[in-house]
Amino acid sequence: MSEAPVLSARALSLVYGDGARRTTAVEALDLDVARGEFVGLVGPSGSGKSSLLFLLAGLRRPTTGRVLLLGRPLDAAPDRNAALRRRHVGFVFQEPFLVPWLSLRENALVHATGPGAAARVEDLARRVGVAHLLDERPHRVSGGERQRAGLLRALANDPDLVLADEPTAFLDHPTGHAVMDVLRACVGRAALVVVTHDPEMLAGAHRVLHLRDGRLEATTAAGSPPATAAGA
Amino acid sequence: MSEAPSPASVPARAPATRGAAGRAPGPLAWLVRNPRRVMPAVVVQALVTALVLAVVTPLTGFEATVEANIAPLSHYTGVTPSERNDFDPALSALLDANPAMQRRVRAKALWMQTPMIVGESYAMLLALEGADQADFLARIGNRLVAGTLPAPGSDGAVVPADVARARGLALGSRFGRLVDPEDVTPGRFTVVGLVEGPARVGLVDLAYATVPDFVLARIESFQVVYARPGRKAQSDAYLHAATNAEGKKAFKVWDEAYWRARTKKMLENLPTLVNAVVGAVTAIVGLVVVLLHLIAFQARSDEFALLLALGRTRRSLAARLAAESGLAAAVALALGLALGYGFLAVWEAQVLRPRAILLRFFDPYALALSAALPLASAAAGALVLAARLRRMDPVTILQRRNA
Ligand SMILES: Nc1ncnc2c1ncn2[C@@H]1O[C@H](COP(=O)(O)OP(=O)(O)OP(=O)(O)O)[C@@H](O)[C@H]1O
Ligand SMILES: [Mg+2]
Repeated sequence: MSEAPVLSARALSLVYGDGARRTTAVEALDLDVARGEFVGLVGPSGSGKSSLLFLLAGLRRPTTGRVLLLGRPLDAAPDRNAALRRRHVGFVFQEPFLVPWLSLRENALVHATGPGAAARVEDLARRVGVAHLLDERPHRVSGGERQRAGLLRALANDPDLVLADEPTAFLDHPTGHAVMDVLRACVGRAALVVVTHDPEMLAGAHRVLHLRDGRLEATTAAGSPPATAAGA
Repeated sequence: MSEAPSPASVPARAPATRGAAGRAPGPLAWLVRNPRRVMPAVVVQALVTALVLAVVTPLTGFEATVEANIAPLSHYTGVTPSERNDFDPALSALLDANPAMQRRVRAKALWMQTPMIVGESYAMLLALEGADQADFLARIGNRLVAGTLPAPGSDGAVVPADVARARGLALGSRFGRLVDPEDVTPGRFTVVGLVEGPARVGLVDLAYATVPDFVLARIESFQVVYARPGRKAQSDAYLHAATNAEGKKAFKVWDEAYWRARTKKMLENLPTLVNAVVGAVTAIVGLVVVLLHLIAFQARSDEFALLLALGRTRRSLAARLAAESGLAAAVALALGLALGYGFLAVWEAQVLRPRAILLRFFDPYALALSAALPLASAAAGALVLAARLRRMDPVTILQRRNA
């Protein structure tokens, strides 16, 4: 298959602030994720996992390096990637960020681009057990249910790249697995990167990247302990 | 925005249409579903709109009273000699040479006051010979609704019914400076008839107003000129242009244009004052409304950060915000006008009409001024929010909450 990777990052780094308050969140990182690939991303708190996801989504301006999405370089200015992001990237945020005055369904479709989105959201909602809540407002459902609504929104446009930041953090184990099942299911036609503190959720991952202080420390197969040498 | 064509490797995808998202909630949904966020701005705008309408309409709408006084001048023109005291044969001949004139009659003008919101207004009492009175009423479209026309030589007066009501005069009542030293009408009159109609003008008898040794005798008489049908403009032009033996203007012409110019001068400073006051109120309340918009915006910053992160453009979000504040302003305007006109209707019926104060109810000037606040604050709100949106960094907001 000669297809370009859905996602590729080269020499990517992100530095917050300057002087004494300078923090290197991501440092000289190279990464390729192909269509159909499920990549896990683990690391201690503050190791730069969320920052990396924002860079990969074109939401933050990288300090150095660049990201290619579907073979196309992302613009350094996040605003210029809006259309690409809307159509090709699904982002599950660490917190779901639902619009409080919209129903879960309206939230899931808030950036919908195609006629298939509504049916897709219905179907996904059934699979993660929130179909009966689609017409409720966010404040009337539980935190876990909100998190799942955020997942529906991320997948509504059938994205090519799915980036999930601790999608199961607020969920009990069975629900967490249901959410991961849905995410894994979209790997068929997308590339998936999942940040998590729970190694159990990475069952089936093709690779697990270990991040420490913004550096890619190791790459392992799912479940296996981190190797000592830098991978990739 | 570089929207390069997808590489061949990317699977074909439906174009970005609203499609299923066509039912995405619009600005109206925001208004309806967030009453507590929207109400403060809407209520403030509606109340001020109503207030401006209720205050400015009576101020500028009182021109309606002036209109009623001027109305008869579209049917006749008053003429006095510009140099001499009275019409000598030469001037009379000059008048009669007017090819557009139908008839002229001798008259005197007196005034009777009626109270206004501020100050007083004056209705004309025209002194005519008995034979000319009924004809005059018919020409200006007024009709006698009670009593009779003044008998020749009597002190009888026919008074506009609303003026009589406002002054507390009924058939048989007496008025004039000889009855009440405060009265502007000289002499003494007895109300013998009431008229109603488009023109606020009453009638008294010319013979009585000409009795020697009586104060009324000193009032200058003038000529009422009736033009032939459809030739009023031509007749007035003749009167303006007519010159006497010395080659100077022969007549002073008291026509509609003259009175209009006079009242316009009288009211000249009113708009300046009203504009300044309403402008200041609009600016201050507009600031408050923009502040309320900003508070609502702040409360929704997560929402906007999210939408930007999901790929909405700032431009489309700004347009959305403009539509929302525009819609809120439209609701406020409708509410404010309903409120303002409701108040005016009650006020007019209960207070103004019994006092013979006429009101131009739908005054375009008052309407424009009262609409200024919602329109201005919608525009200012849209601009300020667009500026806010432009500076917003969505990821910082999302990350702060993510931390
Ligand atoms: N907006 C910001 N400004 C300055 N520093 C930041 C900002 N966001 C994150 N950082 C810093 O960058 C580093 C990486 O943060 P990041 O949120 O990416 O970590 P993380 O791996 O997602 O952590 P967690 O597991 O707690 O979510 C941290 O040291 C953090 O303090
Ligand atoms: Mg994080």
